[in-house]
Amino acid sequence: MINPTYLAQKTRTSVNWADARRRVIKSYRDWLRAAPEIQQMYSLNMPVSAIRTKARQEFERHRYVAQLPTVDVLITKSNEEYQETINYWKQLTHVLKYFRAEDDPKARLPHNFVAGFLEGRN
Amino acid sequence: MPLLPRPATARLLAAAVRPASRRLGPASARTYADEGAHDRSVQPDPKSSTSDAPSAKPGDSAMIRQQGPAEGAPRHKPDYDVAVDYRTSKFSPIPMRVMDGSEPGEAVAAAVLSGAPTELQARTVRIYRPAKTATQSGTWHGHHWRMDWDVLEKGHRWENPLMGWQSSADFMQGTHLNFNTKQDAIDFANKQGYEYFVQEPNERRIVPKAYANNFLHSPKRLKHIRTK
Repeated sequence: MINPTYLAQKTRTSVNWADARRRVIKSYRDWLRAAPEIQQMYSLNMPVSAIRTKARQEFERHRYVAQLPTVDVLITKSNEEYQETINYWKQLTHVLKYFRAEDDPKARLPHNFVAGFLEGRN
Repeated sequence: MPLLPRPATARLLAAAVRPASRRLGPASARTYADEGAHDRSVQPDPKSSTSDAPSAKPGDSAMIRQQGPAEGAPRHKPDYDVAVDYRTSKFSPIPMRVMDGSEPGEAVAAAVLSGAPTELQARTVRIYRPAKTATQSGTWHGHHWRMDWDVLEKGHRWENPLMGWQSSADFMQGTHLNFNTKQDAIDFANKQGYEYFVQEPNERRIVPKAYANNFLHSPKRLKHIRTK
């Protein structure tokens, strides 16, 4: 008998959009509920609300996906990331990847042409 | 910014259960609202529900706001508001648009799923048939199509200060993909969200020649006299 690793999800496809919606919201709620634990585990120097905002941002990025198989893959990836984060398989750098845009001024796109030009991005 | 959808509570209640609060005034005071003889104080039934896809049917959107004609047109200017990922650097070009999976069609939105850097969707890709080497005369290795990335504006090459080697910030430099047909290459570029252009090959033109034509009569002055 092989026991699956903690937080492993069985692979499945969503039957319809309502099913996909339920799975997405469940995954999102898991992330929100785990935010204080992530902060404590990785000793992040940011409030729990910042982690929750980042989770919200990542989910909103794919809000308008029109195809169900794509949504399935995205749900699977969310579950994988969740397992890796909560099981402490990631390291601090992997978690801070999500926050690079806020921390590093070089990791941002300029907000208009002139700003980019003055930076030297022609 | 799209409008926020109607509060979820309106959709959770079935139409039959929603309170019908029709104000009954005196019969003489009929208002314009009574004309249609239906409840205007109650919100109309939504045309779609949560079990529908974001834009399931072409004429019928689950979102309140449909895309206007200007938004559906192809973009030729860089989009500075696009969402960045953690790989953006000061060498990243600005994309025109980034695929987000809401494009209509059956193609897999591989750009969304592959985890590739979004700056790859900013870079133009050339699809071409590599020419045969001039020193060779066969046609083998001349039938496939190749996809090649254009050079970055700023970070494609500089001299390493320590050893003088050539350093690069371009992770696609020197990379090419081979395809059997042009359509395969175009489909791949569309799937991954790359901007592309196709360079048609120069076909070899074999002119049939006959030695006897050197000796045919010509009314004009001969350019070259082949017979003594």
